[in-house]
Amino acid sequence: MTTTGHGQPQFFFFHLMPWPYLPANFADTHDSAWVWVPNALYDPVKGHDLYREYLQTLAYAEELGFDGICVNEHHQNAYGLMPSPNVIAGALTQRTRRVKIAVIGNALPLYHPPLRVAEEFAMLDVLSNGRLIAGMVIGGGPEFYSYNVDPTRARERFREALDLIVAAWTRPGPFPWRSKHYFYRYVNPWPRPIQQPHPPIWIPGVGSLETIDFVAQRRYAYMGIPYFTLDVFRRVFGLFREACERAGYTARPEQMGWGIPIYVAETDRQAREEFEPHLWYFVRNLLKGIGLTPPGYTSARSALAILKNQGSFLAAQKTWADIEKGGFALVGSPTTVRQQLSAYQKELGAGVILTGCQTGTLPHQLARKSMELLAREVLPHVRAAA
Amino acid sequence: MWDTLNKLRYGARLLLSRGHGQAETIDLHGRPTVLRHAGQGPPFVYLHSSLGESMLWLPFFDAWARNFHVYVPTHPGFGQSGGFELIDSIDDMAFHYVELFDALGLDKVILGGVSLGGWIAAEFALRWPERVHKLWIADAPGFWIDDQPLPDLFRIIHDRAQTRALLFHEPDSSIARLVIGDDLDDERFLHAYQAMTVLARLVWERPYDPKLGPRLHRVRCPTLLVWGEHDRLVPPAYGEAYRRHIAGAELKLIPGCGHLPMFEREQEFVEIISRFAQA
Repeated sequence: MTTTGHGQPQFFFFHLMPWPYLPANFADTHDSAWVWVPNALYDPVKGHDLYREYLQTLAYAEELGFDGICVNEHHQNAYGLMPSPNVIAGALTQRTRRVKIAVIGNALPLYHPPLRVAEEFAMLDVLSNGRLIAGMVIGGGPEFYSYNVDPTRARERFREALDLIVAAWTRPGPFPWRSKHYFYRYVNPWPRPIQQPHPPIWIPGVGSLETIDFVAQRRYAYMGIPYFTLDVFRRVFGLFREACERAGYTARPEQMGWGIPIYVAETDRQAREEFEPHLWYFVRNLLKGIGLTPPGYTSARSALAILKNQGSFLAAQKTWADIEKGGFALVGSPTTVRQQLSAYQKELGAGVILTGCQTGTLPHQLARKSMELLAREVLPHVRAAA
Repeated sequence: MWDTLNKLRYGARLLLSRGHGQAETIDLHGRPTVLRHAGQGPPFVYLHSSLGESMLWLPFFDAWARNFHVYVPTHPGFGQSGGFELIDSIDDMAFHYVELFDALGLDKVILGGVSLGGWIAAEFALRWPERVHKLWIADAPGFWIDDQPLPDLFRIIHDRAQTRALLFHEPDSSIARLVIGDDLDDERFLHAYQAMTVLARLVWERPYDPKLGPRLHRVRCPTLLVWGEHDRLVPPAYGEAYRRHIAGAELKLIPGCGHLPMFEREQEFVEIISRFAQA
């Protein structure tokens, strides 16, 4: 087992906990895997085995020497079975001893009161003995349909809730709080987090300038959500570095996270053969409907930009050549992935790499094999080369 | 062919009418409010739907302007009208309008609107009944009827054909294709997105007001309810609910018409409202 030294990129193993049992004709018969996808398609008995397998996979990532493991929040969908990532993170605190546990994140506008997030994250930090990374997210478009929360106030609620949570962790309680959307006489969470002044804060983003500036100003870490072309990441991290300079400091690598699916097998050919069908299961079924965007969720100008950039999103890709050309996933032998990963990591300057391979239907043993090859034959070289 | 001709004909009428409405921006306690108005006679205020059809002086405004001083304000958040920050609900919209009428010196008006505008008009009339001479409401939400739930407009707005099918009795008609076109240029996209943002602010979390029914008894003026017989977005049962709660109100159905009578059955709609307003 190797651990990451100073200045080396950190590797986090990401799990969506996707549902693998959608019918073969799903994409032809359903317009979305989100919000209104019938939950008769979920089977709780299979679901039990699946949670057990997925938790084992995440615990195995620690054994293999990843620096951290990641979970996240989605509602009423087949793409990710963690409406409460905090429940899963709670289980992970008891199965791991060393790795960082990154919950990226809790969708703050969905929590009333958002103090709930301050409390649960503090619990996780104490349970894990200071291993929590606290991700805060506005929440994807579909979540606003699922929870029926006003999307036009999402951004201001997000920022207020974030300020409230940080205050709850850092100011001695009880204290009163008043902002536009939240009023409390007694902010006083028990427990408080172990990490001082508070757990690291990661903010996932899809490239909006507003979010980039905000994260830079606060000196938090910006996690670029996967499923976009490498060009998008190049642009986004460039903008982030500029935003940090405007804020009066130079961006640190660990402030930039690059999300990238990686699958490693013995040869390039074998890797593609083993992984490709499962990537298409993900793209054609689970991503269907993820782009549902409620009005007012972004500014009108951002909405227009998103519409025009749909081609750079994974869901729009049709062929393996598209996947390779866009750099949506690194798939190949240890040598190939080593070269690509080192080159892109250096070019992007990202100090955190969030990777995963479970796109839904990938057999458990193939997922484990890829993780092993990645951890043993790729990561040490990428770390050493950095 | 007919389609193109019909679109051209509407375009020509639009060209003829658009110069008539005088556009002004009123400073309402620091909030710019766009107002178009024309004509002479008793004040007649039209509150627009969430299409934002106040941006142009449309032919049907011109028809009313022959007998009335027609005012067409643009709601906060639409187009260049500010003040959206103060808007969370339909009653906030109504409050905006009592301030606007004060600023314009309008003591008592003939008030009406379509869809969202109709709901705001109803809310205004129950709060300030003494300011409303006559009230008309067309195809407006406001209630919730369990066996005829309002469809989720926000689920289908990204699909122009489905939107047309929800809003028009004849979705393939030239007027339907003109109002909800297939290709949006940037400007129209931004306008439509902003309009839907205002609507989402008002109705996303609860697309009705449980207090509307119990309070409507305060409306005492002559009231006309006009509904497209085939309105699939806000079915005529919603007009019937308004009728039951307003003493003496009359409900008129327009045959062959969906949710937007001012476009789909313009002539009939204009005449029904004119007759009511002039009586």
